[in-house]
Amino acid sequence: MLKNRVKELRARFNLTQGDLAEKTGVTRQTIVSLEKGSYTPSLLLAMNIAEVFGEPIEQIFYKEEETK
Amino acid sequence: MRMYITVLLRCLLYVSLALMVYDYVRIDMYFEMMGRGYIDEFSVYVSTWRGTFCLIVAILLVVINIIDFIVVKKNKHAHMKEYILTEYDVADERAVVVTGKAVRFAFVFILFYTFLLIGSYMFIPNYFLDYPWYPIFTTASIPVFGLIIYLVTFKYFHAK
Repeated sequence: MLKNRVKELRARFNLTQGDLAEKTGVTRQTIVSLEKGSYTPSLLLAMNIAEVFGEPIEQIFYKEEETK
Repeated sequence: MRMYITVLLRCLLYVSLALMVYDYVRIDMYFEMMGRGYIDEFSVYVSTWRGTFCLIVAILLVVINIIDFIVVKKNKHAHMKEYILTEYDVADERAVVVTGKAVRFAFVFILFYTFLLIGSYMFIPNYFLDYPWYPIFTTASIPVFGLIIYLVTFKYFHAK
């Protein structure tokens, strides 16, 4: 499962979900789903997010084994 | 809201078209029965509201499609290459993914539903004599139910 630190970074950069959505070219609903972990972004969106936060993708998105 | 309106209009278009065709078939059947000598005369009342309604819905759909196309084209985040119908949400990459998922569910439903409907046409000789509406409305119900399944599935996954 793909986890992310988008919520944490967004708070650090003092951005609203709408701001981040605008900067990355998606809707606010997509950012909501992304933060909840229910949506796995495309590589392009992940790169856009990484660009906004100025961090490498792997620092923002990481794999986590699902516990059964 | 846009999707609710277009799905509703599309469903109404199929239903009103089915009603129009039903009227035509009914009258045609009476003429056929008269021609074969089963009946001597018949009287039937046909209203023009079905045709008018179908025309209004069709015009509304076209207008909404044009407006939607312009709005989507102006949206710089929209995935224009995925745009086929107004029902398809192309607002961003997630909307496209959710649309694809909803279309897959609707398609599976249509496959199974059509299978059952074709099976039910085994009784078509009986239905055709007494209930000429049956094949017309069951055929119209395929896209109508398909659209409803699409809408419900889309809203479910979009809200997740």
